[in-house]
Amino acid sequence: MDADLAFSAIRISTPLIFAAMGGLLTYQAGMLNIALDGFMIVAAFAAIAIAYATGSLTIAVAGGVACAVVMAGLLALFNLRFRAHIFIAGVAVTFLAYGLTALLLRGILGEEGVFSSNTIPNFPPIAIPFIKDIPVLGRVLSGHTLLVYVAYLCVPVVAWSLYRTRWGLRVRVVGEAEDAALAAGIRVERIKVQTMLLSGVFCGLAGAYLSLGYVSLFANKMTNERGLIALAAIFFAKGRPYPTALVALLFGTATALSVRLPQMTGAAPQLLQLIPYVVTVLALIVVGLRNARGRNRHGAWKFDVT
Amino acid sequence: MSTEALDAAPSFPLAGLVKPLVQPLVAVAIAVLVGGLLVLALGENPIEVYSILVHGSLVGWPNFLVTLQMMSPLLFTGLAVAISFRAGLWNIGAEGQMIMGALAAGIVGYAVDLPTALHIPLALIAAFAGGLAWALLPALLRVWLNLNELVVCLMLNPIALLLSGYVSTHLLKAPGPTNKLPDIADTAALPTFSLYSQVNAGFVIGLVLCLVFAVVNGGTKKGFEWKIMGLNPRFAYYGGIRVPLQAVLVMMLSGGIAGLGGAEQVLGEYRAFYDNFSPGYGFDGIAVAMLANFHPVGVVLAAFLFGALNGGSAVLQMMTGLSKYLVQVLQFIIVLILAAQFSWAFLGSRRKAPPAHAAPAAPKEE
Repeated sequence: MDADLAFSAIRISTPLIFAAMGGLLTYQAGMLNIALDGFMIVAAFAAIAIAYATGSLTIAVAGGVACAVVMAGLLALFNLRFRAHIFIAGVAVTFLAYGLTALLLRGILGEEGVFSSNTIPNFPPIAIPFIKDIPVLGRVLSGHTLLVYVAYLCVPVVAWSLYRTRWGLRVRVVGEAEDAALAAGIRVERIKVQTMLLSGVFCGLAGAYLSLGYVSLFANKMTNERGLIALAAIFFAKGRPYPTALVALLFGTATALSVRLPQMTGAAPQLLQLIPYVVTVLALIVVGLRNARGRNRHGAWKFDVT
Repeated sequence: MSTEALDAAPSFPLAGLVKPLVQPLVAVAIAVLVGGLLVLALGENPIEVYSILVHGSLVGWPNFLVTLQMMSPLLFTGLAVAISFRAGLWNIGAEGQMIMGALAAGIVGYAVDLPTALHIPLALIAAFAGGLAWALLPALLRVWLNLNELVVCLMLNPIALLLSGYVSTHLLKAPGPTNKLPDIADTAALPTFSLYSQVNAGFVIGLVLCLVFAVVNGGTKKGFEWKIMGLNPRFAYYGGIRVPLQAVLVMMLSGGIAGLGGAEQVLGEYRAFYDNFSPGYGFDGIAVAMLANFHPVGVVLAAFLFGALNGGSAVLQMMTGLSKYLVQVLQFIIVLILAAQFSWAFLGSRRKAPPAHAAPAAPKEE
């Protein structure tokens, strides 16, 4: 039973890890991207629609990613070129995406609210050669589908590119001191666009996993605020890749528990689902207290982002 | 962000004269155009679709009354968002504040036994307090710890939904299969005016609030102070405005108004608190406030437009192969375009040779 729970926690955390990696890149570049949910829902819809039409999972995932990148491009265009406030533009893009997918769901697939199909192939589970033979760990870590492994492999890749490459250094400079980055000749806007589009790629994978990963199904607003939970993980871990992934995994475990526990004990699932948000608010307060101590309290009304 | 605002502000002096009406109308026109193309792509006739929307929302008393009903919650959430945005406070937590207000009204509505003359005011006060409490936390964190109120509001929205869900499905659940609180007492119900729709006294309260804030914003010292705060908080601070205090006050009012919107739903329309009752009125409020350019009278007009769209969308869903979510797409295209405050300046500077003041900003364009 515990191995089952851990197995499903890893599975449920997969879209969270993807989305968190996507949000983390823009966070490091100084943009708080709250449209993760919007990118994901578009990808989820595109992936299932394409899979239904073509029967190919590869094309479906690629198409989902492409559509999420288009949404990311839209947000980047409005925020960076047209100077829209990133939060307002982010809210608009998210709800635009919710509305658009619901509209297209009825318009193209002819279904109201939910679409599922059993003609769409499923991802085959992959057993990892040696790990699968370890007694408990093998049952937890092995036997997932491809995208799950990809998600967890993304974490070291993102960490490496942020902290070990020239590009990553530039991203962090842009996020921490935009003026200094400009003075140093870094193309700030280009870096920001790149991180936003990469955010779209990761959210695209998350969305494709949502609609094609467990069962082939799409429902309106099916991201269920996973983007927000991913964002909470990013805030909690201050945007560092490994801690963010770990927190996302913990939040995913809380979600897995909120599915399991009520079945066994009759407890309220809402109280477990609250954990990511409450923990994040508390973490923000702790960080704020720490910062406030060192700050001159008689300064003017300061407006920093985060 | 602030330097960009300064760069861009002087670049549309002409548009400044007609801006209050031109900008929203242009945004609506673009949204209608894009929506029309979408409709066309889905194989329906856009003109027919739009005429169904207009017909289904405005023609005939029943349709018109449904529009007023759909407009009621947007009056509250739109006004709540508008007064906070105008003061430079990004309260995107109207959804959560509305839910907490509705929950408070729902509990007071059924648990207290009072004559009507006391019960309705008490329930309204409870709703105001519920929304206010939910806005107080981000406001205090903003003022004391300089935490971004946007992030805190964003996290408080799902917390409100889940908490109210816990209360209405476990703690105080009414007997029966539905996840809701027990029905409110008749003494707490806001009177409705017609059999055709659920439009109720809450609509009048919302209208009155909008008018009150039009006067407050335009004709009082407080309203002026809030405006200055929104334009330039540092200037406001050095000008002697107690910015932190005013910020908390604005957020409390904003949250309270959103909470009253919840009361309108619970006491007027549903007559009980239902779990997950709001289809996102708090976020639609952002759309209303943006279209209204944060002006309370504009909120009435914008809420009417979006209420009509929502009312017509049900008819649209029945009569065509399209989904009612077309309306949501239109709304948030409008928000996106209106959020792009400086796109007009950008368009202007692209067509002509770049004006002199654009030169220092040039490195940013790379």
